[in-house]
Parts: sequence; structure tokens; C-alpha cells
Amino acid sequence: MSGDAIRARDLTKIYGQLSAVDHLNFTVRSGSVFGLLGPNGAGKTTIIKLLTGLSEITAGEATVAGFDVRRDPMQVKRRIGWVAAEVILDDDFTAWENLWLQAKLQRVSAWKPRAEQLLAYFDLTDRRKDKVGTFSTGMRKKLEIALALLHEPEIVFMDEPTIGLDPSTRHMLWELIAGVNREFGITVLLTTHYIEEADALCDQIAIIDRGKFVATGTPAELKARVQSDFIEIETTELVDETRWRAIAGVTDVRTEGRSWILRTPSAQTTLPNVFAALRTDQIQRINIEAPSLETVFLDVTGKHLDAAGPEVHDFRKFYSTVRRARQ
Amino acid sequence: MSTENRLGTVLAPPATAADARVPQWSQFTGLYARELLRTFRNPWVLLITVVQPFMWLAFFGSSFSGASPAIVETLFHTNNYMAFLLPGVLSTSMLTVGMFGSMSTIQDKRFGFMKRILLTPTSRSTVYLSKALGSATRGLVQIPVMIIAALAFGVRFQGTPLMWAGWLLGLFFLGFGMCCFFLAVTSSSTDWQTPGVISNFITMPLMFASGALFPAANFPGWMQTIAAYNPVSYSALLGRGIVVNGVPDWTYLGYLGLFATLMLVGGTLVASRYLKIE
Repeated sequence: MSGDAIRARDLTKIYGQLSAVDHLNFTVRSGSVFGLLGPNGAGKTTIIKLLTGLSEITAGEATVAGFDVRRDPMQVKRRIGWVAAEVILDDDFTAWENLWLQAKLQRVSAWKPRAEQLLAYFDLTDRRKDKVGTFSTGMRKKLEIALALLHEPEIVFMDEPTIGLDPSTRHMLWELIAGVNREFGITVLLTTHYIEEADALCDQIAIIDRGKFVATGTPAELKARVQSDFIEIETTELVDETRWRAIAGVTDVRTEGRSWILRTPSAQTTLPNVFAALRTDQIQRINIEAPSLETVFLDVTGKHLDAAGPEVHDFRKFYSTVRRARQ
Repeated sequence: MSTENRLGTVLAPPATAADARVPQWSQFTGLYARELLRTFRNPWVLLITVVQPFMWLAFFGSSFSGASPAIVETLFHTNNYMAFLLPGVLSTSMLTVGMFGSMSTIQDKRFGFMKRILLTPTSRSTVYLSKALGSATRGLVQIPVMIIAALAFGVRFQGTPLMWAGWLLGLFFLGFGMCCFFLAVTSSSTDWQTPGVISNFITMPLMFASGALFPAANFPGWMQTIAAYNPVSYSALLGRGIVVNGVPDWTYLGYLGLFATLMLVGGTLVASRYLKIE
């Protein structure tokens, strides 16, 4: 497959007065990994819902795998796979039965050889006859990706695929996701609020906040865009902004109450000037951010990624609650 | 168009607008089988399915065991009270099967499985139909158990195998119609409590304002009016005519078929529009 796997023009979703997705224009190149990076509630999952036909587009248009999402949603669904944030499998069924059901839903008649290959690829062959309820979270994630690949989709949507996982399982999944893209030649659209995940996996990243893209590019392009350090300072008392701007080396100042973000070409050389300008008892907290996707987000939105949205759920607790409820 | 990768080459589906209507048989059979497997792999469901009919007959059937045969004959127009009761109890049990289909659907919504299904080329009406038929099938399983239980209680039945087949079809129509109704009413709900509340609200009046457990002739006028339009009455009367007298009135079967068809059509329309994904 060549060309664009996904095209969106003025893609918009409005819930009541809220623009969850606000006139987005983007394309995803076939065979690439495209990342939507943003905090919870930024509109990432809504974009997936719009592109997969699960939610109605308010305005604009989108094509996925060459099909108009609104006109041919069934054709789109035949060509896409989906990996959820929370693992969604039939716990009472074996791995093989889950694959069988997915084959039925995707109308794949000769599914068994493909299923066996996928189980082997994901190192699950020995557990094929075991009920999924007995699997570890990592194994369940692997099986879910196998389900998504069973019908040889052109595009796989991964919605926060590693949320709530421990670091080793997360890194294992990163390798698998990169492998799925590289070895299976499948386009991946990934949403995440983990900066390191987007950096490690994505060819292209769109940083999204409140339904709008605030920056797009390759990870290298985005990082090059900032080329500044950020000094974050929380003060014990209100400080006049002109005092910050007067500090040598500070090129820009943002504030929210007693929290200040100073942009500077070099934190190392500017920091002594900051200390000279303030009394030590005026400084409550200080933090330095070197150029990274985090600083890109900080630069374009004026806030940290992990502080921008509602609190992240405790997904470990969530998983165990779901499992208990299913039993 | 084809895709080539490490797992081989597979032809992609033809990319034409004419192919927009994706056949649903495979998805339907998969989801229907899933409903049955999930239900009958649960040992508690199996146990209750077997025990419940015995309990019904033991408790309800014994309620007139101390009455003189003359009183039973006067009240029920037969001295075979268990045979009188059996069609009513089976009709009543088909009333509640819709609730389980509703709960299964709400469970799928809350755990995200509905989203997984609807991200495949599966229509909402296919999901709806598989749930309704799955629940109705689950309800049918109680019938042979109940009949065996009645035989164990020494009940003697009338009717030919063909009549019995017709009655079973009537019971299926009743159960399927109720499942369609329940699923339509709860299609936009994700609340666990909704099916139970609706079931309680509907089951009680339909059960008692019918000829299922007592002859409707003794009802006050307003209850007789409800009973006259109540599908539970027709299922019970159809079965009673066969089981007690060996004389079926097939118009009841026609009425039950009409009820199931109306519920199916109305429910499919409602669910295809309002079935929520989560």
C-alpha cells in the first residue's frame, strides 16, 4: 500500500458547547507510525472514534484506507484493527476462542493458519487453550494485538496501548508495536500521553490540546523547534513580571500565579542570573527542562503534559476491578 | 489490492461502493454462539436452570395439594392442577429471559466489548438480533427440564408431538418477543440496575394479569382487559389446551407470532439507532 492511509480535512466533533475535535487537518502516510500526543481529555480518543466510524463527525471529512468514513464505515472497519487502552477480551474464553470470535466478526474464513502464526509471533502458542482470565496483563495485551492483526488490516488504531503497565511490560509492548509496523507493514495510529512513548515509536507526532493540534512534525523536528531550556520557578510571593524579563538570558516569560516558566537558550548560564535577581527565600521550587517533547508541549501550551488534563486513572486498580467483576 | 507482509499475501476486500452492504451471517453466528457459550459455561446458570423448574412446581404446585378435588375442578376446570400450572409457569419464565439479554448487553457496553464488536464490520442490528435470539434460546432450555420435573411429580399430559411442537414454537415466540422488547427498551442504557427494574415493573402485572397461573374468568373487568391483550395469556392458553385437553387453539400461536414479529421489527429499528457503544 502506498500514499496516505488516513486523510482528515476540517475534522470536527462538537458535544453540546464543547469542541472535542476542532477543525483538524492531517494525513497519515501508509506504513508509518503516527502519534497523537496529549493529555487526558485532549480529544485523542475522540479522533479515533471519528476515524473508525464509532462516533458521528460533526463537520469535515475523513478517509481511512481510501474509504470515506461516513459513506463507507463498514469498508473502513474491514481494513482496520483496534487495540484498546484497557484490555477487552472474553475472559471466559481461551486465547484460541477469542481469535475464533474475532475471525467470525471480521468474516475471515481461513483464519486458523494466520491465528497460529500470530500466536507464535507473540509467544502465546503454549497458552492457546488456556482461558484468557488466567493471563498476565502483558499476555492479554499481546493477544489483543494479535486479534487486531488477524484479518490483515491496513491500519491499526492503538488507543493508549501501554497505559497503566509496568515499565518492563511497556518496553516489551513498544518493541512489539514497532515490530508490527516494521515487519507487518501496517500503518499505526497511536494515542498516548507518554512523551517517551511517542518519541520512541512515532515517525510523525501531532501534539493535541483541547481538540486542536498545537504542533506537528517528526520527533526530531519538534525538538529542534524549541532549542531552548525552560526554567520553572515557583515563588513564595508574587514577583513582578518585569523583574523576570530583566534577567539576562531570559527570552520569554510565562506565568500562572506564583509559577513562572522562563525560556532561555541555556539554563546553565542563566540560572546564576536568576539567583542574583531573587532572594533565596523567595524561591520555593525550581526545575530545569532541557529540549524534549515535554518542553515542546510546555512551550506551546504553557503547561506540563501530565498536569494538563484530568487525573490519570489508576489502571492497575481498574484492570483488577474489571477482572473481579467478570468472574 | 493486496497486502504483503511476513504472514503472507492476502487479497483485500474489493474497494467498491457496491460492496458497502457487508453480509452479516458470520458475525451473527459468532455472537450467537458467544452468548450460548458464555451462558452455559457458567455452572451457576446451569444449576439454577435445572433447579428452578423443580422449585416452581414443588412450591406452586403444592399450594392446592390440600384442597379437595371438587374445589380444584371448580376453580381450574380440571383436577390435574400440575398440568394446568405447567404451561403458565413456562410462559411466566419466558417473561424474564429478556432481562438476561439486556444485562449481557449492558455488561458488553461497560467492559468495552460492544466497542470491540462495532469496530468490526458488524451492524448494530446484528448485535441486537444475536442477543435477543441468544436470550430466547437460553429460556428454551428450561422447557425440557420443566417437563421432566412435571413428569417426576407424576403429571400426565395430553396432545400429539405436533401439537407440542406448536406450543414450543409459541413459547419461543413469547420469549423472543420479550427479549426484543427488553433489548430495545434498554438499548441506550449502561446501568446495571435498569433491566432488573424494568423486569420487576413489567413481569408482575403481565404474570398476574394473564391466564398463566389462574383462570382469567375470575378476574375483575380491568384485569380481564389486560389479560385479553397479554401475550402471556395466549401462550398459557395454547399450552393448556394441548397439555390438559389435547385440543389446541392455533389462533393463539398466530397471535404470538405476530407479537414476536412486531417486537423484532420495532426493536431492530430502535436498537440500530440507539444502541450505545459504552
